[in-house]
Amino acid sequence: MSAFKIASALRTLPRQAALARSARRGYADVADGKLSLSLVLPHQSLYSSTGVVQVNIPAATGDMGVLANHVASIEPLRPGVVEVIEENGQQAKKWFVSAGFATVHGNNSLTINAVEAYPLDKFSAESVRAGLADANRVLSSSAPDVEKAEARIEIEVFEGLQAAMAK
Amino acid sequence: MSAATWREFMTWNKYTQIASRAVRQALTETERVGAERRAQIGVRYQLWENGQGGESKFVIPQVEKSGKPKDT
Repeated sequence: MSAFKIASALRTLPRQAALARSARRGYADVADGKLSLSLVLPHQSLYSSTGVVQVNIPAATGDMGVLANHVASIEPLRPGVVEVIEENGQQAKKWFVSAGFATVHGNNSLTINAVEAYPLDKFSAESVRAGLADANRVLSSSAPDVEKAEARIEIEVFEGLQAAMAK
Repeated sequence: MSAATWREFMTWNKYTQIASRAVRQALTETERVGAERRAQIGVRYQLWENGQGGESKFVIPQVEKSGKPKDT
């Protein structure tokens, strides 16, 4: 009687082990527990499944920091700075991103699709000031609402740039 | 930033195009030349009939800076 019970228990064992295996999350395979980052522009791949420690992104709902094994999430980006910390203790590398999407997949990988991204030293403070003045002028004029909405977007970009370059 | 007032007037695609245009305007001169070239988007179409392709046309005719229409 007891032998029969043991035999049937042994038969169910492999199935339970298989179930446990499929219930566990699969992780993007990067050595030493880093997050796998792909930061891509239409014309260039800045990072391509590279292991990094932390990425700070300017999501439309607020700034967020993404570490390894972050919960899955899809975030539209607002114009702002993406910071990438490649190794613990290193300075963050920064790019100003115009707009795009950040997708944290459930398997320890992050994909950022951006339209334009440039390091902060590629910008000219004078051009930012001129652009901001133009946009403010449109905003205070009697232009149609569509143009004012466009001017507001440009103001968001230029003010974000000024803040980023001032740091 | 005031929560997405642009949504009243445009799609997310148009929003990204405007934001990207502003970012390109803020670049230094040398960077901007390359960026503007990359940013050009043109859409071409071609009508096919009986297995033969017709003339390939731009949706919006591309014009060189000198005012002459670009060919192909």
